[in-house]
Amino acid sequence: MKKYLQIIKITFQEYFEYRLNFILWRFRNLISLFVLLSFWLALFGEKTDFLDYSKSQILTYVLGISLLKSIVIASRSIDLGGQIKSGYLTKLLIQPINLFKFWFSRDLADKLMNIFFMIFEIFLVIKIFNLNLLFPKDPATYFVFFILVFLATGLYFYLSFLLSCLAFWTDEIWATRFLFGFIFLEFFSGSLFPIDILPGVLKKIAFCSPFPYLIYYPLKFWLGQISFKSVFWVILMEIFWLILFKKLALYFWEKGSKDYGAYGG
Amino acid sequence: MVASRAAQTQLLTNWGGLLFLIGKIVRFSIFLVFLLTVSGPQKIFLGYSKQQVIIFYLIFNLMDSVSQFLFRGAYLFRNLIVTGNYDLDLLKPLPSYFRPVFGWTDILDFLTLPPLLFYLFWYLEKNFYLVSIFNLIQFFFLFAIGLTISFAFHLIICAICVLTTEIDSLILIYRDISSMGRFPIDIYPQIIQDILTFIIPIAVMMTIPAKALTGLLSWQGMIIPSLIGVFFSLISFRFWRFALRKYSSASS
Repeated sequence: MKKYLQIIKITFQEYFEYRLNFILWRFRNLISLFVLLSFWLALFGEKTDFLDYSKSQILTYVLGISLLKSIVIASRSIDLGGQIKSGYLTKLLIQPINLFKFWFSRDLADKLMNIFFMIFEIFLVIKIFNLNLLFPKDPATYFVFFILVFLATGLYFYLSFLLSCLAFWTDEIWATRFLFGFIFLEFFSGSLFPIDILPGVLKKIAFCSPFPYLIYYPLKFWLGQISFKSVFWVILMEIFWLILFKKLALYFWEKGSKDYGAYGG
Repeated sequence: MVASRAAQTQLLTNWGGLLFLIGKIVRFSIFLVFLLTVSGPQKIFLGYSKQQVIIFYLIFNLMDSVSQFLFRGAYLFRNLIVTGNYDLDLLKPLPSYFRPVFGWTDILDFLTLPPLLFYLFWYLEKNFYLVSIFNLIQFFFLFAIGLTISFAFHLIICAICVLTTEIDSLILIYRDISSMGRFPIDIYPQIIQDILTFIIPIAVMMTIPAKALTGLLSWQGMIIPSLIGVFFSLISFRFWRFALRKYSSASS
């Protein structure tokens, strides 16, 4: 346990090593949030309801996207693909650590860092735009929301790990991640807009994928648009995807480790 | 020659290019669907007709793809700086900004241009927007101004990279801000419109050429965008020269 705490500490130190990079990275997050918010405020204009969402609901959803991206999507295991290709993985393989725990510790540091700064940034944006956000009244909602986010974090970790593991067999890791880890993730997780506003076929495709469980479902539940009865099935499906991706990630990791030639090392 | 080598490298791999291409097409298509969805059945959307909003989106994609195709080198410039390899480029009989900005052309973006152009002109003709040769001349002129501004942005980012070795976040910030040009910028509050016209002139790059094409711009409306384009080019060259003077070639 102590060594993984040390890994978290080192990951924090890495962020502050390149301070300008760090500041620009945070500024970029703020700009992304600002752009998305401006866009939705412009779409609403003077309207109070649009596409079956009230203004407060959509603004809560947009700020929720930023917060959940910090918790669920923020990740360092994305680096694994590059390390397999460069041969840096060899250095990690010979160390007395569990690599899954190693990458999870790195991810955790990244998430903590993101959450810490994102809270300030969201607070700043709320003040600038004078936003009126929705907060559930029932304390049980917070508990179930926490479960949904916790499962989503695990699901994304294994999904991202699986995509990185493809680097054992192909040089096209960035192309694969671009398509599945950025494009599909961005649209089908609800990171740009709620998926249910899309027309029929696209909506069905999105709902058949694991992506909506990362952002969309937790936020829909927060907004009170999914009942406690329905959220039970959402949690069951999320557990199913989590187990499936965990098994796939472990399978590909074990198979890949055996095929690993350490060519770059 | 640079473009040819970049194309050969990108086409060398089997399906990486294909996946990137699919990704770009999926992104374009889903945004288009999203645009049609938020426009809804109403004819007027945010003060523009539905067709005009789609034309604005197509022009945004055209500008974005051409910029990506031409100025992709900026994305790889950091590596030249931190390895010290940029010193070798400074010895070559080329403008000092050539390798940083034009050092890599993205063939995948080039491949998306013909269908995008075809779709744009088909859509214009179908909706009776392709009526005046004056509008076309205005559009091509302002599109060139837009590209000049895009070049200036990339050059300024490269100059900052020379000074600080930082580039990735800056490019992403630029791309995030430029994504506001997907819609006509008139939909945003006045203060954002002013920022996007005079400080970070995304409007001049994307909204104004689209306005010209749809007949919403008078010839007088071309004057200020042209001045902004010239001003940004001058500023970018001046800043680039300043950055080069500070270049220490520390890594070589």
